[in-house]
Amino acid sequence: MGTDQSTALAVISQFLERANKAQDGLTDDTGLWGDGLGLDSLEAAELSAMLEDEFGSDPFTSEVEMPERVGDILAFYEAIHRE
Amino acid sequence: MILLLESAAAASGGQTAVVTPEGSSSYGELLEDAHRVAAALRHRGITRFALVEPDVGWVIRILAGAALVGSEPCQYQADSAVADLEEAASALGHTTVVTRRDDLGAAFEVVRPDELTKDAPGRVPPVSGTQPLVIRTTGTTGLPKAARHDWQTLARTVAAVRHTPDQRWLLAYGPHQFAGIQMLLHVVASQATLVAPFPRQPRDGLDALLTDRVTCVSATPTYWRFLLAEARGRKVELPSLRQVTLGGEASSADLLNDLRAAFPDARVSQVYASTEFGSMTSVTDGLPGIGVEALFSETNPTSNLRFQDGQLWVRGGAGMLGYVGDAEVGPAGVDTDEWRPTGDLAEIVDGRLLFRGRDSEVINVGGVKVHPLPVENRIVALPSVALARVFGRANKLTGAIVAAEVVPEGGVDHADVDAIRLEIKSAVADLPRAWQPRSVAFVETLATRGDKTVRRMET
Repeated sequence: MGTDQSTALAVISQFLERANKAQDGLTDDTGLWGDGLGLDSLEAAELSAMLEDEFGSDPFTSEVEMPERVGDILAFYEAIHRE
Repeated sequence: MILLLESAAAASGGQTAVVTPEGSSSYGELLEDAHRVAAALRHRGITRFALVEPDVGWVIRILAGAALVGSEPCQYQADSAVADLEEAASALGHTTVVTRRDDLGAAFEVVRPDELTKDAPGRVPPVSGTQPLVIRTTGTTGLPKAARHDWQTLARTVAAVRHTPDQRWLLAYGPHQFAGIQMLLHVVASQATLVAPFPRQPRDGLDALLTDRVTCVSATPTYWRFLLAEARGRKVELPSLRQVTLGGEASSADLLNDLRAAFPDARVSQVYASTEFGSMTSVTDGLPGIGVEALFSETNPTSNLRFQDGQLWVRGGAGMLGYVGDAEVGPAGVDTDEWRPTGDLAEIVDGRLLFRGRDSEVINVGGVKVHPLPVENRIVALPSVALARVFGRANKLTGAIVAAEVVPEGGVDHADVDAIRLEIKSAVADLPRAWQPRSVAFVETLATRGDKTVRRMET
């Protein structure tokens, strides 16, 4: 896992802690919505702002497809890193 | 202005009128220079001009001199960027600028303030008509405008002011702001002394409190918060004040409590005013907002304040003549009996009209309209928080989210920001979810709202 990805994972964990959301066994496959983390729009907006503060851009508000899983967020930063 | 100055000079010409970084001036000296300025303006045929001058002693000389001959001054913030000045002055058609700055010569005909006072005072016959004064505003009614006032109308608001020559007022507003002009009028009418530091940041005001024997201060709640924070930071003992006045934006209960604790001997007043309508009301009961009994109703039909459609409406007051560029509305000025919305959002809670911010600063979070002020008040009330600012942060998911910048008590380095984050979270837990800040940044200082960015009630 690249540095950006570890940082992104740390930001997600920090967000979940602040939002009092269960975070046991967070994996790439953990879904962001519904049965997964169950984020609503305000929580997603909060996470997107935290990621934007850290990286300057975030997958929720970029031109890419809306992320579905934790792994999609990590992949977004991996892709940026490669560019 | 000129009549008040004449009265003050006649009563005690030697009394110190103004104390600035450039020195002190007596009422007699100001009046004499005002006559010099009047003669020079008449001689040069200057009937309207822009004034870009930081020193309030000079500002008074020039404004009073202009009033004598009916020349129309319009002040611009003294440290405005050249491009901003050019744009604003061109919109208002100002070609002559009275300033000591040497970077404005390309676009304007520049007259230095001391050129206007170098000749012997010529006694020019005073004008009988309007004594105009233009005050620029971002204002009550939305777009940047310039309100045209008459000194004689403005002076009526201080007609009942008692003479209190032992009072020393701090000027915390810019003299180009309506609140600054009101302060000048109040001090001259009361024949007191104005202490006018420059720059005008709260830290400069604190210096003046500590060294210039200030007894009375009128400032915005934001200014007071910064001043108290600065005093705590420097660990200085604040002097006793007789009068503490808040205006220009809504104040909160915790700030009023802090001010009462810091200045136990002071009378604490809150004023509500707008550039267009003049000073409207003053509240001295120490509670935030305005008591509903002061509002227009069947039992109080003479009140000039009214709550309607979620905001404060006003009428009457020392109304302006009109906006620059609009057709003159006649010597009586705008129809002062007509009710007008102020753009100051409000709510009635427990018999008090409480301000909720400007209608233009409402944050739209996914269709939910969020007023930043109640959120800000909850955060600022935390003992671990020195200052806070709540604003909308753009977000593609919800349009905007509520964001906060927080200055911890004692500075970021010494604060447990994670603990403060939790405190903020519980402090806003009773608010609807969309109102709760989704972005909290801890900072050393807030970007002060400069003169150009007054966010709430314009004063």
